[in-house]
Amino acid sequence: MSATVDPAPGKTPSQARRRKPGLVGWVVNRVGLDDTMEDQYNRVVPKHATNYIYCFGGVAFVLFLILAITGILLAVYYQPTPDTAYQSVINISTHVQFGWWVRSIHHWAAGGMVLLVFVHMLRVFFTGAYKAPRELNWLTGVALFGITMGFGFTGYLLPWDQKAYWATKVGTDIAGSVPFIGHFLLISLRGGEQISAATLGRFFTLHVLVLPGLIVVLLLGHFWMIRRQGISGRL
Amino acid sequence: MDRRGFLKWLIGGMGVVALAGIFYPIVRFLKPPAAVSGAIGQVANVGAVATFPAGQLTLVTVNQRAAAVQNLNGKYTVYSLICTHLGCVVALEGDAFKCPCHGSQFSPDGKVTHGPATLPLPTYHSQVQNGSLLVGPIDLTGAAYPDWYKGEFA
Repeated sequence: MSATVDPAPGKTPSQARRRKPGLVGWVVNRVGLDDTMEDQYNRVVPKHATNYIYCFGGVAFVLFLILAITGILLAVYYQPTPDTAYQSVINISTHVQFGWWVRSIHHWAAGGMVLLVFVHMLRVFFTGAYKAPRELNWLTGVALFGITMGFGFTGYLLPWDQKAYWATKVGTDIAGSVPFIGHFLLISLRGGEQISAATLGRFFTLHVLVLPGLIVVLLLGHFWMIRRQGISGRL
Repeated sequence: MDRRGFLKWLIGGMGVVALAGIFYPIVRFLKPPAAVSGAIGQVANVGAVATFPAGQLTLVTVNQRAAAVQNLNGKYTVYSLICTHLGCVVALEGDAFKCPCHGSQFSPDGKVTHGPATLPLPTYHSQVQNGSLLVGPIDLTGAAYPDWYKGEFA
């Protein structure tokens, strides 16, 4: 057997070479993020993908982050019960400091995200980026689009005003028109035959617990695949 | 300081300013609004009685809500100026209240003289103390005010 001594047991040469100083370095050295991040930083963006039409997905993600932050803030004051929902929303807009600001950002970012996700889908479609080997990423994109619409639909009810009530009435009626399982979908969404406190509770749960979990998992998959497969070729 | 060091500080400083611009509103947002002065339900001092000329209506603000003080020979009445139709603030025109949104009109004693509003302007509980007019909670027992109207004062 050779008598040489491994200078850094269990490390690749680059890990042994690069030891970052400082507090950030202390964490990075222990987590071993260095090589992973270096791999990410060294990706070359193809020339054709620096066109602005390639930014829509990223902008949609930034809007998602803004929605997550403002959504958490709104949840601090929002009360999902029929007696207090509307009043708590008015309270956010009129009494809470910067409440109008946070709520307005949430409102406009929500509309913007639906728009950007749709435009991103058009870009992927018209540049043929859904083709092999990226079919699965297209499918997760379809699911993400559905989740985004789900966020919009469930969030629309939460102010519990007339517009919210009737939009939900129409939306759940549409679900009810599905053959065979329509009635099941309708009562599952409404928590009964009619729109009630149960509907508000269900939509709130979907909006702040179920859909955020789903979207985070699918976004990770979406980004993982774009990293694995790279940006699609030029037209 | 060399050029690189200066640019580092400059970019770092801009980053701090940008972050402060985001976190300042968030910190203010998280502070409970009940701590704000002039919160709903507090007794408000709208000023010395001498500032309300006899026989006139004077515009005041009660807990950030528009109101008018009427002085009828030393008897003070404080009317809410939130229209009972859809919640706009009615304007004082001559000695009558006129709503700029849908044209409702109210006489100086708060009664409806022209629709679409059907309910009179409510009054606040008020009393004179040490020469100042103190305004307390609103009196919504005079008519069947809808929930949203009560909510304006909740």
